[in-house]
Amino acid sequence: MAAGPTVKKIMEVYKGKIRLIIKNYPYIYRDYSHLAAEASLAARDQGKYWEMHDLLFKRSPKLDRASLINYAREIGLDVKKFTESLDAKKHAQEVERDKKLAVDLDLYNTPTFFINGRKVIGERPFEYFKKIIDEELKR
Amino acid sequence: MRRLVLVALIFLLAGYAAAEDKRYSVPINDSPTMGPVDAPVAIIEFLDFQ
Repeated sequence: MAAGPTVKKIMEVYKGKIRLIIKNYPYIYRDYSHLAAEASLAARDQGKYWEMHDLLFKRSPKLDRASLINYAREIGLDVKKFTESLDAKKHAQEVERDKKLAVDLDLYNTPTFFINGRKVIGERPFEYFKKIIDEELKR
Repeated sequence: MRRLVLVALIFLLAGYAAAEDKRYSVPINDSPTMGPVDAPVAIIEFLDFQ
């Protein structure tokens, strides 16, 4: 899981001052982690990454193939294109690349954040992020 | 009760000191992003949807 609502609040409070970048680190022993990550990137191909990102968190852990296709329909994607992308494993390599990066960085937990390179592990309250972000803005 | 809250607050603040000062270099590549490219703060989030 990730800190969905906290990150959302950060992006609202610090609008225009923060760039958020998402990397996938699907946990190997969860059935649909990898597929869900691929689905998010398939949605991105159709310009709806964030819509899918939000919906996946809302509906997690129900992330099997059929559910993912339903979510694609729900956010108005071209379902045929989306399904083809999933079944062709179009974004599997991209997810693997992120995963390798996470392993190289020795990460063992999600979410893990890097705020201007400073590592924050696990879910934290908004105030925790605020302190670090305010420090970074003062630099 | 008020004292308890104060103690809890102190522990919480002490936790802030645990934030790492080391800076890691994480390539952004073409990962999904939100917010301006030249924003003063970049947050990279490694997540798992499940």
